[in-house]
Amino acid sequence: TSSVSANFDLKTYWSTLREEINQKLDEAIPVKYPAQIYESMRYSVLAEGAKRAPPVMCVAACELLGGNRLAAFPTACALEMVHAASLIHDDLPCMDDDPSRRGQPSNHTVFGMDMAILAGDALFPLGFRHIVSHTPTNLVPETQLLRVINEIARAVGSTGMAAGQFVDLEGPANAIDFIHEKKYGEMGECSAVCGGLLAGANDDEIQRLRRYGRAVGILYQVVDDLLEAKSSKTKLVDAEEKKEKSYVGAYGVEKAMKVAEDLRAEAKNALEGFEKYGEKVLPLYSFVDYAADRSFSFSDQV
Amino acid sequence: QLKQTHMELSFDFKNYMLEKADLVNQALNDAVPVKNPPKIHESMRYSLLAGGKRVRPVLCLAACALVGGEESTAMPAACAVEMIHTMSLMHDDLPCMDNDDFRRGKPTNHMVYGEEVAVLAGDALLSFAFEHIATSTKGVSSDRILRAIGELAKCIGSEGLVAGQVVDICSEGADVGVDHLEFIHLHKTAALLEGSVVLGAIMGGGSDVEIEKLRKFARSIGLLFQVVDDILDVTKSSEELGKTAGKDLVSDKTTYPKLLGIDKSREFAEELKEEAIEQLSEFDQRKAAPLIALANYIAYRQN
Repeated sequence: TSSVSANFDLKTYWSTLREEINQKLDEAIPVKYPAQIYESMRYSVLAEGAKRAPPVMCVAACELLGGNRLAAFPTACALEMVHAASLIHDDLPCMDDDPSRRGQPSNHTVFGMDMAILAGDALFPLGFRHIVSHTPTNLVPETQLLRVINEIARAVGSTGMAAGQFVDLEGPANAIDFIHEKKYGEMGECSAVCGGLLAGANDDEIQRLRRYGRAVGILYQVVDDLLEAKSSKTKLVDAEEKKEKSYVGAYGVEKAMKVAEDLRAEAKNALEGFEKYGEKVLPLYSFVDYAADRSFSFSDQV
Repeated sequence: QLKQTHMELSFDFKNYMLEKADLVNQALNDAVPVKNPPKIHESMRYSLLAGGKRVRPVLCLAACALVGGEESTAMPAACAVEMIHTMSLMHDDLPCMDNDDFRRGKPTNHMVYGEEVAVLAGDALLSFAFEHIATSTKGVSSDRILRAIGELAKCIGSEGLVAGQVVDICSEGADVGVDHLEFIHLHKTAALLEGSVVLGAIMGGGSDVEIEKLRKFARSIGLLFQVVDDILDVTKSSEELGKTAGKDLVSDKTTYPKLLGIDKSREFAEELKEEAIEQLSEFDQRKAAPLIALANYIAYRQN
């Protein structure tokens, strides 16, 4: 089956979409008065090297089911906005206390903690507003847009990403599966499902996209953990501190690799029902292999 | 004229507020049950159910009824604006912002649950407000619900509430003029009041003309609230206010009395109240009674 995805040029597909998304995000957050808040929002949303995986997955899912990508762009941008909001808050000193993100100083180290809190607080509503004001109404019925908004709000909310971040910070111990599922699985699931909703997918298709997106989101992070573990063998890092937060730290390399293979199979299995759409399934299909193998990188990627 | 005065007098504002606040409290309690993980939901509920007059949700319900809507259609929106109000206070109280230990006589959220939980629970209330409107609003067409979501997002984001907070933070200790002060209050206070009545009017099926009149009403009472607050701070004792009086003078904050003097500030407050009530003149006066009473309450409150 991997020969199937070998015929598809994911890198070109992804790069093209990524450029379009970056362009639209740039236009979506013009600097107005008071400039500080817009600068702070732009700093994180437009960070160079961002791969834009959630928006690309959203657009690909929408196109798979026959939707127009123009219907998906506003939601794709909203995913990046709410995701950036979560990351800005996660980096705060009272949370993960991360001085850097995507190879640049984290938002609060540049703009101050107060502005970082407010930038996050402004990006959440901006995401919802962008969907409402920019989605072409002739392409997506209003009932579907309400479902999209619900999906995104739930993914970032108290039983989604916020729950993952909370358990990551406060335990209980040995909750790595819960943390990965919430912090990374939710965003993947939400991205794929939103794409499907925008294209008017039926319930069965939405269920498949749910399974698919969740598996790919977690897979991506487990592989990140594996790569991190590999590179840290040659570097001296604070292994103890990383251990709790890493899949490899919690379960060891062997189990992590097994889990990654299972997730790859699960994601591809979820796509099986889409075979009738022919080649249109290739972007989502090769996305899985990319998440597992990381066969290329973007030139400006940090 | 006589008839209108009579109706204002006969309207039992205090009872109305208590009755609506009860309904809102019940709806808020049902909207945010304790789920897994419990602590983050307990933190959300701690601040959301801490009491308060529920002015914003009541405005939302009253605006819905004023344009002829069924009050229950606006209840999810009414809960949503209170969730937003609550989360903005939770984040405002954080050590890196205003650093407040107490609010309404209770320890602030981060004092009880820790800063990290206060940030996350605030974020969760913010996103849940949108989820709640999208999923729990009944008897309203999808296009109206979407319009309400767009309005709410605009009122609380970088063009609304957050803009007011940012300009306020950046003006600390600076000499600012009346326009600047007005910008802060119109965004920091009036924007969410505006969102509250506009959402109510949208859910109630109000026309564009009605919605715009109510928008102006809310902006006037939002500004009015701040002007009166500033006046009370310099004219009342701590005992009368139930909080520390003269705080603005001590912190050298820019206020209306400082910029305009007490008399002119009082005149301005009177003008704002008249402007607000004028917006309601073409509505059924019986149905407008709660909003008129609310404007009078804000103008003439003593603490």
